[in-house]
Amino acid sequence: MRWPSPAAVRWMMLAALLVLWEVLPKTGALPELLLPPLSKTLAVLFTDRYVYFAALLVTLYEVALSMLIACGLGILTGALVGGFAVLRNLLLPVFSSLYAVPIVILYPIFTAWFGIGSSSKIIFAGIYGFFPVMLSTAAGIRTIDPQFLLAARSMGATLTQQITRVIIPASVPTVFAGLRLGGALAIIGVVVSEMLTASAGIGYLVTLNRTILDSPRVFAGILAIFVLAIAYHMLARAIESRVLVWQAAGRRRKSSSPDTSATVPAPVAA
Amino acid sequence: MQHLANLTERRDRTSGHAIEVAHVSHVYAGADGGVPALHDISLSVEAGRFVVIVGPSGCGKTSLLMMMAGLRGQSQGTILCHGKPILEPDPKRVGVIFQEASLFPWLTTFDNIEFPLSLRGVPRSERRRRSQAMLSLVGLEGFGERYPHELSGGMKQRVSIARGLVQDPPVLLMDEPFAALDEQTRMTMGHELLRIWSTASKTVVFVTHSLTEAVYLADEVLVMSARPGRIVDRIEVTLPRPRTYEMMATDVFGRLRERIWQQIRETV
Amino acid sequence: MVRFSEVAMTRAQITLIRSVLLALVLGSWELLPRSGLINPLLLPPLSEVLAMLGKLIGRSDVQEAVAVTASEVVVAFIIAVPFGAAAGIAIAENEYLGEIFKPMLFYAFSIPKSIFLPLFILVFGIGFQQKVAYAAFSTAFVVVMSAAAAVESVRSEHVMVARSYGATQMQVLWRVYVPSMLPILLEALRISMIFNFTGVMIAEMYASRTGVGHLINTWGENFQMPQLLAGVIVLSAVAILFNEGVRALEARCSTWRT
Repeated sequence: MRWPSPAAVRWMMLAALLVLWEVLPKTGALPELLLPPLSKTLAVLFTDRYVYFAALLVTLYEVALSMLIACGLGILTGALVGGFAVLRNLLLPVFSSLYAVPIVILYPIFTAWFGIGSSSKIIFAGIYGFFPVMLSTAAGIRTIDPQFLLAARSMGATLTQQITRVIIPASVPTVFAGLRLGGALAIIGVVVSEMLTASAGIGYLVTLNRTILDSPRVFAGILAIFVLAIAYHMLARAIESRVLVWQAAGRRRKSSSPDTSATVPAPVAA
Repeated sequence: MQHLANLTERRDRTSGHAIEVAHVSHVYAGADGGVPALHDISLSVEAGRFVVIVGPSGCGKTSLLMMMAGLRGQSQGTILCHGKPILEPDPKRVGVIFQEASLFPWLTTFDNIEFPLSLRGVPRSERRRRSQAMLSLVGLEGFGERYPHELSGGMKQRVSIARGLVQDPPVLLMDEPFAALDEQTRMTMGHELLRIWSTASKTVVFVTHSLTEAVYLADEVLVMSARPGRIVDRIEVTLPRPRTYEMMATDVFGRLRERIWQQIRETV
Repeated sequence: MVRFSEVAMTRAQITLIRSVLLALVLGSWELLPRSGLINPLLLPPLSEVLAMLGKLIGRSDVQEAVAVTASEVVVAFIIAVPFGAAAGIAIAENEYLGEIFKPMLFYAFSIPKSIFLPLFILVFGIGFQQKVAYAAFSTAFVVVMSAAAAVESVRSEHVMVARSYGATQMQVLWRVYVPSMLPILLEALRISMIFNFTGVMIAEMYASRTGVGHLINTWGENFQMPQLLAGVIVLSAVAILFNEGVRALEARCSTWRT
């Protein structure tokens, strides 16, 4: 017997999951409080679509700004730390140590300082994404082959040309990996902080409905966040493969996980 | 060293000395006074000749080539190209060809070949015309829109050669260009290089650690000693041109190869 | 630029600059609130926070919270590692399983695990089991990936050489797999522990009656800054010390690794 293709298996698993989600509570195998049927969840999502849409807008706004911090600062600092041995020796060990701290414990400080509105979420998620983005960028910048610069110099490239024509294009994969990672972490950071202490946003909706035991609305929120995260990941991948046509398939796959500073995925917790 | 006497006399492109290296020494800076890398090297390469430098690993042959290219400075001595000192990279006088990895992976074959032209703001149509010509010279018509990762090792090296030739420099410096290729491709590429060289009339300085490649390609082989690198022998390769694969089986070829091997073995 | 990037510093210089930076941070933490440049209600001076830390350590409710959190961290870790490792080894050794599940793992990383917290509360209620289950769940993903990476780091040439000299399955396991994987395994354990700790913290901060996460969340809500900052200092110090300890061990185990 031939095994079905891995992609087919994945689709079958997804289908089975959706069917079970509908059937298990409907047949009473699981109480509806624990797992409301898929149809009921979707129905709630539809009737409350304006509520969820408004919450999603708040979340997206916070994600966008925290992504700016995580990616902007993270890529910039990572490029400097990766590019200059002085900064690398001085700062990289410090950053690697700080990376062990569960950033989420800082969140109560931010709510105390900046209130429970959007700013505390943006700052928290920005810092949450900053470290992994910075470390992965620093690692990526260091993989630029010095032969490229030597070749460019042999062809008479000026310092400016070496930067614009060699260093910047050679950094593009690293920067994209940083953007993908930073965006994913910004989403995670914003959702976590909205679930903890907030007054708006999709994470807040989940928590609010949980406390009043409105399971269909909790699952509707979970579903919305799930879709948001997956959609972002797919979008980032699609843009990446469009822009990076010049990368060999093998290298692209490798750089798709520079969430791995060395061999093991970076702390993308929560 | 009588050829050093008329150092500055001849500046002609087609005759005389293309490269003149006089008393070049180099010491790598270090805590305990530094490591001597090259010791009092003098050599001259006549225009139009194909000169190969061989030597044990770490003897400084690549460093010497980088100095000829103006990519690295030396502690002492002078290097002239057609009578004028080389102080910084000058692609109009000296083209450098590296191992295959030096092609920019984000540029197509066309754009890689045109890279040195675009640095100088040569208009696009002119660039494309010249890269087309180079591409057909190296036998890669139709591969202009490919990215390096879509080319084989030998094809990449052809692109590298085209890039080195596109500004028509009188001198080509080649740093172990075929080292990453497999043996068969390497032989083919050597043969191709000789064909291109014979049509383009260039001076070539070629660094390698393959003795067979050295004898097969060269008019003249310079043998360097282990660190600190010195020139210990200069061997004229008297085999006729055009070279053929059959020559490798001849006694002359074998004797030349043996002599170089002896020299290298003694210096290590 | 290339030249500048190669400027080297001695160990002593690096230590000096780092010490100065640290002194600067700690000094301004003390002086800025004292001078009134920063509102001491928002950021109490360092000395005040440290004094509070001394008091907190003696409080029995804090001690109890620490004990609860520590046991949650340990139990969740003990559950997550074997399950995750088994799954990771399976997808690394079996190509078919790998092709099915590896792409899913990349997606799994982009999804906030915290959205499943309400589920864990619905199933287990609020308490020890729910914290442990959630932390183990959020850690398992990393363990799976790390274990897969560790297995894949074993070079098939080495396995082949061992087989060709007649090594038994057990000998291949102990003499090739374990030493090859050891450096990565330590790194994997270290990073899994970071995730695990974060998982416990989030679970405790989200909904809890005890535990350190619950304490700092309450202190934050009640605006008790000295208590909150003291808690953050201790938690950070524990995390950093653990991390550095395992890293030192990694360095010792991987001297042969290039």
